[in-house]
Amino acid sequence: MAKEVGADRLGDFYIDGGKVRKRREWRGVSDTLYDYSRWLKIMMTLGKFIAKPRNIKAMFRYRWMANYLAVPMMVDRHTQGLRGEYLRICHEEQDLIIDDVAQLLENLFRGDRRIGNDTEFSKKVVLVDENEMTAVMMGFPTLKCLSRETPSTYVSVLLNQHAAEHYIDVAQEFGLAGDVCPMPEAEAGVSIDDDAPVLGACAIQCNTTCDGSLLGNGVISRRLEKEDGISVFQLAAPLRHQEDDVQDYAAQEIRNAIAFIEQHTGVKWDWNAYFECAKRVNYATRCRQEWLEMNRTDYPQVFGSNLALYTETNYMAICGRIPAFEKADRNITRLARQAFEKKKMAAKEYRHRAIIWGVQSHYYMDFLVWLLNCWGIVPLTDMLSMVSTRELKETDTPENRETAYYDMAWLTENMIMRNRTHGGYKVLLDELWEYVEQFNADMVILWEHMSCKALDGMHGLFEERARERGIPLVWVTHDLFDPRIVSRQGVRDQINSYMRTVMREEPLDPSLEVLNDEESW
Amino acid sequence: MKKSLKLLGVLLLICSGFFIVTFTVYIFNLDMKLTALIEPFLLKHYDKIERDRHL
Repeated sequence: MAKEVGADRLGDFYIDGGKVRKRREWRGVSDTLYDYSRWLKIMMTLGKFIAKPRNIKAMFRYRWMANYLAVPMMVDRHTQGLRGEYLRICHEEQDLIIDDVAQLLENLFRGDRRIGNDTEFSKKVVLVDENEMTAVMMGFPTLKCLSRETPSTYVSVLLNQHAAEHYIDVAQEFGLAGDVCPMPEAEAGVSIDDDAPVLGACAIQCNTTCDGSLLGNGVISRRLEKEDGISVFQLAAPLRHQEDDVQDYAAQEIRNAIAFIEQHTGVKWDWNAYFECAKRVNYATRCRQEWLEMNRTDYPQVFGSNLALYTETNYMAICGRIPAFEKADRNITRLARQAFEKKKMAAKEYRHRAIIWGVQSHYYMDFLVWLLNCWGIVPLTDMLSMVSTRELKETDTPENRETAYYDMAWLTENMIMRNRTHGGYKVLLDELWEYVEQFNADMVILWEHMSCKALDGMHGLFEERARERGIPLVWVTHDLFDPRIVSRQGVRDQINSYMRTVMREEPLDPSLEVLNDEESW
Repeated sequence: MKKSLKLLGVLLLICSGFFIVTFTVYIFNLDMKLTALIEPFLLKHYDKIERDRHL
């Protein structure tokens, strides 16, 4: 029960083998009342959501909806140990993401043939992948760009570590390979299990990151096109995205996708809306660069899951289309500057400055907070947050309209994760070590997503480079969506044993070293 | 005057009651403890739904 950062034994909040925590943290009067007020706001958002009969109907129809019982706990996991500006930054982001997902769910169920069956609304819906830049929707302000996979799998696993297991098993029961990435496999499982809302005028799928992703899209589009009568456009963005010779092709794919949407919805592309969105994308980029600039100093401010989760959402899923995120960018920057001026720290001691590379374990997104609280390791930035910083053209001229196709293509090619796992040696391997220098990092934590062939193939090269530079590199193996393969404690154990045996250190908070949270949400 | 004071008192009482109840729920994590009890019933319900499962 302490106001000071790092004074609590955070492991004591866990119930041994339990699903939820014993109680919430006392963070001093001001921070506790702030956290309580944000909790009330979340409860109101959830209350408003379940007040609608069609949402209740959906709750009893879709298995993945049960995970939304855990929304407040997801926020608690990410705010663990935080005080002052860090707590406020986290809430600024998480609460906005909760509002945005609630709105997404409402729209999905409104148009869903099984639930709301609002056919006029459904005609204005364009379905997109979860793992896809929504740049091609920037010029369609009157259409609804909705992803079914975001709430059914992506957010679900953030809420409940076990959320995808049922769908992974369903996909494998139907003969899909067990060694592909469990994310697209779970998405395919949702479709096979007849558990995806059915709506929309058309859909855009993207050859996002990997073979598994293409496999999942194939299963999903087959059902969409052949049974639900929803046409699907396959947006094939070049994988060699750093090469100049692919950019004309990439821009043409964007023109084709836009023409496809116009044809199926009857709505014309709006350049004014596009350039408005482009301004917001540029603003978000400038803010993110400022945060990363602060993280290069001794007083990093927006880092860990505060950086990772928000960047994924804002860069990829929002893409300038929702003005509320611009306001959040401004507020986060203001809070970060304030804390930076006061030289504030998020933990009582910073022992190591780490770059987190690779694809993070989705069922343990709050691992970054754990690293800080347990071992004093500051996750300065992560691979998925190091996305494009190219400024988009934002004034409406004939030349800029032409360039805009290239800008949208560039964003689509440089989707989160895809911009590193594809594009060659430089973006995945070389740039990691450039960031190590730029951020003055003394450690690299390398997620080894065991089903990700694109990354696993480079294992030895990462080790070689780390040895050359004398930088401690810690491998952390996981299976992205499936904690049955490597549990959360299994993830923690890999850090614990490295820190104790190689670094010869003791944890900052020993109560967090071993936690029986296998049954936890 | 007396009436408005009484009204203010009632309002204060309601607000305090609301705060005490909700803050107790918040600090002892009672909301999550309750929803954790609901989840198994929902999962059983989903198992009973007929589905058109296929590739």
